[in-house]
Amino acid sequence: MRTRVLSFLNQWRGTAKEAFENVSIVAKFLCLLHVTDRYIISSTHVQGPSMLPTLNLTGDVILAEHLSHRFGKIGLGDVVLVRSPRDPNRMVTKRILGLEGDRLTFSADPLVGDCSVSVVIPKGHVWIQGDNLYASTDSRHFGPIPYSLIEGKALLRVWPPEYFGSLR
Amino acid sequence: MASPSSFWSIASRQAMNSGLFLTKLYCFLHVTTNYLGFMAYAYGPSMTPTLHPSGSVLLAERISKRYQKPSRGDIVVIRSPENPNKTPIKRVIGVEGDCISFVADPVKSDKSQTIVVPKGHVFVQGDYTHNSRDSRTFGPVPYGLIQGRVLWRVWPFQDFGPLGPTPS
Repeated sequence: MRTRVLSFLNQWRGTAKEAFENVSIVAKFLCLLHVTDRYIISSTHVQGPSMLPTLNLTGDVILAEHLSHRFGKIGLGDVVLVRSPRDPNRMVTKRILGLEGDRLTFSADPLVGDCSVSVVIPKGHVWIQGDNLYASTDSRHFGPIPYSLIEGKALLRVWPPEYFGSLR
Repeated sequence: MASPSSFWSIASRQAMNSGLFLTKLYCFLHVTTNYLGFMAYAYGPSMTPTLHPSGSVLLAERISKRYQKPSRGDIVVIRSPENPNKTPIKRVIGVEGDCISFVADPVKSDKSQTIVVPKGHVFVQGDYTHNSRDSRTFGPVPYGLIQGRVLWRVWPFQDFGPLGPTPS
């Protein structure tokens, strides 16, 4: 009786070991996937009217890389993914139109009139703006954002396939 | 009889095993420091008397910022809005919606200013207001710049213990 119980347990030990090995392989793969996604390159689904005509209203999938912002290689005209200063759980996609030290003049409300405001971007901040001035909440509303809120730079669009290619 | 080729194959296999082990260890450390908690070395006069200017090692956690907003009195590690490479440690004095009255530069004058903390931002201030560069200088900080909340002081050992909401 005891030997039967022991042999039963031994069988389960072998299976448990195999299961553990397989789970650890999956865990390592997920780890690698996560590190790549977060620190090297990732795909993001973006939607909304604020970047028309560069990005479509109904949604595009773009490839974004997460290396440039760590080395300070974000420049004027780059389309970047930033964490919204108003809602830390939201990521927004906008274009950089000013770096620290630049003086920018913009129209406070393009629908209403030509009332223009001039601002100097403080140290450590950038000015983000959507390409569609009429339907975008950006630095014209919440001011220049700290550079550290930038989380990625858009590389190219992969979906829909007829718009495959770089963003210009 | 050991041939030279088998020595190299054993050596390369050992190297690969160590490399894999180091990668797994790094992965584990990375996940822990990015999602659970990290150690921070704090030095400088701005948080006297809570933190000694000659330096302390603190334990900060990243879990609470995912589920709840920071509350008044928390000591937080933030990424500086002026310089993305610096991570100052300050105390949260006001959360979004609060009306804060502060003296911008107590060394020079007693003139006080009042601001309302905008949505999605916190107002941080060092405990030693006479020598602290904080939200009185660079304005309220968006939630996205908060790296973690300081829980515990690890070193120097005579001060080992929790760091609470009120200046000690």
